[in-house]
Amino acid sequence: MGDHALLYILFAPFVGAIALIFVSNRQTMLVRGIAAGSAFVSLLASLYLFFAYDHVKGGFQFVERFEWSRQLGISLHLGVDGIGTPLVLASGILLFAGIFVSWHIKDRTKEFYIWLLILAAATIGVFMSLDLFFLFFFYEMSVIPMYLLLGMWGSHTKKYNEMTDPEGLKLRDSVGFILNFGSNSKEYAAMKLVLFLSAFAVAALMGILLIYKYAGLNTFDILVLREQAKLMNIPVLGTTLDKIIWVLIFFGFASIAPLWPLHSWSPVGHAAAPAATSMLHAGVLMKLGHFSIIRVAFEILPETTRELMPIAAVLCMFSIVYGGLVAFYAKDTKYVIGYSSSSHMGYVFLGMAALDYISLTGAVMYMFAHAMATGMLFAMAGWVYDQTHTRDIPSLGGLSNRMPFISGCFVIACMASIGVPGTVNFIAEVMIIVGSWNKYPLQVIVAVVGIVLTLAYLFKMMRGLFYGPMDQKYSHAHDAVSAADRLPLLIMIAVSIGFFFFPMHLYNVVRSGVDPLIAKITRVVPVASQDRETLSVKREAQTGGVPNRPQDASDNASRDTLHASRGKE
Amino acid sequence: MTFTFTMTPSDLLLLLPEILLTSWLCLILIVDFSFPRLPNEQLAYFSIAGLVATLGCLAWFDFAGITGTLFSNMFALDRMALFFKMFIVGSTILVILASIDYIHRFKFFRGEYYFLVVMSALGMMFMASANDLLSIFVTLEFSTIGFYILVAYLREDMASNEAGVKFFILGIFAAALLAYGISLIYGETGKLVLSDMTTAQATPGLAIGFLLVFAALGFKIGAVPFHSWIPDTYHGSPTPVTAFLSIAPKGAAFAILLRMFLVALVTFKPIWTVLLVAVSILSMTYGNIVAIAQKNMKRLLAYSGIAQIGNVLIGLATGTKMGSDAMLFYLLTYLFANLGAFAIVIAVSEAIGSEEIDDYSGLGRRSPFLAFSMLIFLLSLAGVPPLAGFIGKLYIFVAAINEGLYVLITVGLINIVISMYYYLVVVKKMYVNEPHDRAPLKVSGPIKAVVYICLAGTLAIGIYPQPVTDWVVSAVLSFSTLADPTASLPVPPVITPFGG
Repeated sequence: MGDHALLYILFAPFVGAIALIFVSNRQTMLVRGIAAGSAFVSLLASLYLFFAYDHVKGGFQFVERFEWSRQLGISLHLGVDGIGTPLVLASGILLFAGIFVSWHIKDRTKEFYIWLLILAAATIGVFMSLDLFFLFFFYEMSVIPMYLLLGMWGSHTKKYNEMTDPEGLKLRDSVGFILNFGSNSKEYAAMKLVLFLSAFAVAALMGILLIYKYAGLNTFDILVLREQAKLMNIPVLGTTLDKIIWVLIFFGFASIAPLWPLHSWSPVGHAAAPAATSMLHAGVLMKLGHFSIIRVAFEILPETTRELMPIAAVLCMFSIVYGGLVAFYAKDTKYVIGYSSSSHMGYVFLGMAALDYISLTGAVMYMFAHAMATGMLFAMAGWVYDQTHTRDIPSLGGLSNRMPFISGCFVIACMASIGVPGTVNFIAEVMIIVGSWNKYPLQVIVAVVGIVLTLAYLFKMMRGLFYGPMDQKYSHAHDAVSAADRLPLLIMIAVSIGFFFFPMHLYNVVRSGVDPLIAKITRVVPVASQDRETLSVKREAQTGGVPNRPQDASDNASRDTLHASRGKE
Repeated sequence: MTFTFTMTPSDLLLLLPEILLTSWLCLILIVDFSFPRLPNEQLAYFSIAGLVATLGCLAWFDFAGITGTLFSNMFALDRMALFFKMFIVGSTILVILASIDYIHRFKFFRGEYYFLVVMSALGMMFMASANDLLSIFVTLEFSTIGFYILVAYLREDMASNEAGVKFFILGIFAAALLAYGISLIYGETGKLVLSDMTTAQATPGLAIGFLLVFAALGFKIGAVPFHSWIPDTYHGSPTPVTAFLSIAPKGAAFAILLRMFLVALVTFKPIWTVLLVAVSILSMTYGNIVAIAQKNMKRLLAYSGIAQIGNVLIGLATGTKMGSDAMLFYLLTYLFANLGAFAIVIAVSEAIGSEEIDDYSGLGRRSPFLAFSMLIFLLSLAGVPPLAGFIGKLYIFVAAINEGLYVLITVGLINIVISMYYYLVVVKKMYVNEPHDRAPLKVSGPIKAVVYICLAGTLAIGIYPQPVTDWVVSAVLSFSTLADPTASLPVPPVITPFGG
């Protein structure tokens, strides 16, 4: 393993998918074994990556570089910094958990795992790409597996199969399935997702091509472009070029994040998807948006980012409140979790918008934490659906008698999602709130309201599913008993709680990625003392984890500079 | 103007691939007439053997760098011509392989089918080398005659007859336009060889002449507004002929277009860029939007082909070396994806006797191999990574953005999203819908071979395009005034709506 950890993480799922092509669908255990094996290799390598990442050194590590096309200036340039590392780990964990969550899929098992592995590998590829071309390559590559996973193994909203279109045809067979006659079929969801994401992806591609052209370096390499690209102050169409590129990149990638008002594909897609796909989708796929914005817009256009990032600060409020309110009134388990995810992604945007060391670190940690929390929720919603064949909350109830393990885990997952102390989500949320308070107090208040909303809708769903009277037709529902069924939930719970008690490595790694970025954007040196104050509350168990940065000596002076510069802005 | 034909044996060497194929063509006829009981497959493999020998000869020429011109520049054998000849011969081999099962539908003249296919291929090989207005006319008509017959080969099928008549009338019309255009150009310049015209003055006669020639070639490639024959002809023709028609003549016509625009008309680039931008936008948008409504697989591929040609024209509109490289690259990716898709249409229509998209329902259950391959080909046409089509589209867009064709790129990008929809509707039919009939489909060996070759091409070019890129770059390098490698470097930032 060692230095080539990235190649193992990225290519193990691909190799697994290719191996699966040659296995017969009848050998179900072999199919599952290959899928789980390749996911396990990927997970092990990403754990190694996470713990071997040297946060004192910082920067891009484990770099791999292969020339891919001379004429176009493309190379397969892989590498992770402090921001990519935890997201790679989250993908590894969710892929491994997802394999077990979909253990009971009977229809076309082999194909399911092939597409799931490709989806996860493509996602992981984005997190480690240091070349704009490959970033887009993997990004676009993750969309098509979603279509097939939703289309083939997804589920409709209730009563969909009986519905007909205005011509009297069964809605399933009608060409008008894309027109959504008052119901969300899986076909509709899949098509909407692909068209929506492709439409915005080509906007991002336009941005990437403009960067390529105006940098004039004949390269797509992010590391070269961020040092040498001169994109500022070129007047175009009454504004400047860098602003146009930034807007294309930001909204192109924000659609997958999903930022209000570009979110509408997301809850529909979550709802239709099979459990493991929803987990990957909400857990890591949505983070591709934030990550790509950080990697492309923050790295290459720091000045423009400082100027235009308030757009995100405004829109994230709508994300948080709108998502929360819809989740509160939704009656479908997966819609609740789907809207809650898009609401929670608003926090990440808030953390990013504040352009502060603490808040951006919090945002990245929140991405990691949210991956675990929402992964658990979707896994359990999928379990409940498999047992009861309905996602309709009012018709469910009292399931805690039948499935005590699931209902217990569900409580923990809700706690994690809300951000109760004891889960890593709490740390991340506090950091976002503290970090952005100086700059965006209104948004912080909205975020706190959002937390209350989260509490309300998750408890409402929990009560609706697991407590109260139970309909007798669900008396055959089973709990998760076998090790294969319990394993994914236990892993995600362990990660979620474990990083609350031992957050320092995660924090240091993320911080090492955030520091140079924010320093470049705000032109203010990092203040190591400030985070010591904020984190001192929950870092009692840990000692001396803060990296020794050269700036530590001039704590007070640099903090003054920080406040002074904030005043100016 | 006098022609002096002094040919030496070394001159004759340049014609070796054509001579080889011509003699093989006669052999095919002789074998067919002498052994009337010979099974059709054997005649097919016999034709393929000749084509493979020709391909080998062309590859040797390319490898050894044998190039030159003949007949006072009428016939140019440069590396671009070699590229297009290999393109044509390669696609012919795949088409003949895919025809082997289909041939039983023809009541008569089964042997002559192979003769006609190889003859058209021979005509198109000459087209790829045509460097003179007369040879353009002669070779273009030579290759089309074979197609006039092939399109109407299903004698008892009204649709096939209709296709033949439509194709014939419009084809003759295009030929007339071509002849008229050539006469105008010759009248204005007094020259026939394309590379001699670079100093021509812009006169109305010359402009109309080239416009007419462009119209005739636009008919060949099926660009809007010269596309009207495409849907019906594609629909009615025997499917292998449709596959052939959808790829080989387009390659040959693009060879001529490249010579015409980048050599003869290179000084008028700002003018023809606007023309090509307009044709490209129309082709992409019209093709993609109309394709949405199609219910027949062949018609869908016909309209998608119109849209794909719009994409290739983006490369031509740039008028740079990089744009030409990208065109050649794109055509190669299109060859694999399109022929593969047609091979599957043939396989499915052999098995269930239908070409309606609705009958592809549940193909994923009935034949996972066919459905998966179709998925790969359609996604490559749509431009999804890691397939060849994505790299092709990106290459063309990069070439276009270096020339500042922003409007064209924007339209091209929007069209990717539109095309995604109708390709995915087919994917939905194949994978999401349940089959009407669950019986598994049988796929014959030759079709499987075609599909495997096309799959390998689509995936290999998509995953590692460097060898192919090197090939197309060297192919374009030696043919034109754009040989200067700095020609493809980015220009200083200037923002204009069309650029140029």
